Amino acid sequence: MSARAFLTSLREGIQGILRHPLVTIASVTTILLMLLLMSTFFIFSANARFIMKKVGQQPPIEVYMKLNSSEAERTAVLEYLTGATDHVLSNQMMSPEQNYQRFRENLGTGSSILDDFDYNTYLPYTYHVQLTDPGYADEVVMRLQALPGVNKVMQESRVMHFLASATRWVNIGTAVAFVVLFLISLFIISNMVRISVYSRSTEIFIMKFVGATNGYIRLPYIIEGAVVGLISALCAWGITHLAYDRIFDMMMAKVSTSSFYALVPISGLSHWVLIVCLLCGVLIGAFGSGIAVRKYVKV
Amino acid sequence: MIRFENVYKTYKTGTDALSGVSFKIDDGEFVFVIGKSGSGKSTLIKLITREEKPTSGYVLMDRFPVSKMQSALVPVLRRQIGMIFQDFRLIGSKNVFENVAFAGEIVGMPSKKLAQMVEIVLGVVDLRHKASAMPLELSGGEQQRVAIARAMVNDPKLIVADEPTGNLDPQTSESIMALLEEINRNGTTVVICTHDSNLVDRMKKRVIEISDGCIIRDELASGYSGIITPVPNDIKGGNK
Repeated sequence: MSARAFLTSLREGIQGILRHPLVTIASVTTILLMLLLMSTFFIFSANARFIMKKVGQQPPIEVYMKLNSSEAERTAVLEYLTGATDHVLSNQMMSPEQNYQRFRENLGTGSSILDDFDYNTYLPYTYHVQLTDPGYADEVVMRLQALPGVNKVMQESRVMHFLASATRWVNIGTAVAFVVLFLISLFIISNMVRISVYSRSTEIFIMKFVGATNGYIRLPYIIEGAVVGLISALCAWGITHLAYDRIFDMMMAKVSTSSFYALVPISGLSHWVLIVCLLCGVLIGAFGSGIAVRKYVKV
Repeated sequence: MIRFENVYKTYKTGTDALSGVSFKIDDGEFVFVIGKSGSGKSTLIKLITREEKPTSGYVLMDRFPVSKMQSALVPVLRRQIGMIFQDFRLIGSKNVFENVAFAGEIVGMPSKKLAQMVEIVLGVVDLRHKASAMPLELSGGEQQRVAIARAMVNDPKLIVADEPTGNLDPQTSESIMALLEEINRNGTTVVICTHDSNLVDRMKKRVIEISDGCIIRDELASGYSGIITPVPNDIKGGNK
């Protein structure tokens, strides 16, 4: 297609938007509502994933060394934990003395009964391990148990499995919601655009009979749909941004941002919401229009 | 040149529109296709423009094997054909000049050349003075002349007209036919589907008559119902 033909299509596309203002408003509103729903799903799932990730990073794995473990065995465990950077976010070694002190702190006022406790004889070295993803728990536990000097590895397995499973389901739910909303909006938009396409069916018919290609006929409608989608996307992003910012301020007024159930701040989500809205809006508009004109192109 | 060889067309509904039609139209010919409603005239036109594909048989239009060509080539075929319809099919939102130029724009004709071509064809149909008028401001005859100008703007080898005078009074019909005859005299092949017996009788051109999907008459310099000069056997077929 020549540059002139493309510019003509662009001009026709813009004119199409202005030619039927009511259809344009209805199309923008429909896509806008769908994008708001999509944005809501996206923000919900992003927050759910964020919270689950933080929960999963709490020390859910504790490695207990044997009481008589050697320095070399402890070094081997440490080397594994520091080397497995893909799976292990951080680790902290606790000496028998540190474990003793923590034990005393937990006992509070009754800690004096431990005054003569020989911690070097009865308490082991331990490691607190934070994972990058709760889904790696089984693998990390298996590897640790295989290392010499390791007595046992404790993990909150049910919590870990729940978190892994919940993350997966949130991801699947978001994907399904996106696909369903995308298809619904595609259906609605293609039917709306069909009204404006119908009013120009004579024009399309003539275009076919003077030798216009299908692409040439479709392009103005696709551009029209894409521009409508773009306008809807920007509106949806603006509304989502303002609304979430307000909700964030209200909900996080008395909650520390470092808390594990703190929401993701708008600055961390805004650009993703914009990308999702633009991508979905433009695709819904362009595809919906392309589908609407398909029937008339077949002459 | 248009050639139909043993062409059959059966629609999905089971209607047999054409049954073994064969004929040949040479470059520069002026041909009337006549017949009762539902006889298969429009199907014949649709097969030339590849609006429909034959169920079997072979359709050739110039170098295009119309019956077997890929869909992507259909626009190229249609750029060789100027179509004229009974209901004019002008775009109401465009003026006369724009309606005519529209056909040239679509095939990517350069702006300057297009403007010149539009001027020329509007001159041929004697509507240069109404270039800025809107279609609804024109009479039926004028609208059909705009449609003829649009069909001519891409300098087609063939003009196909489906009942071009169906919505016009006899006097206007005469002028439209005179215009098409003038275009034909300059070398463009013209194929016209019509019910207008007076025009066919008066113009004495080649007539192909179709009945129930078969060619029942193919005569040179003929009338609506009379045999004047038969065509040679090698260019007619599918007869009853």
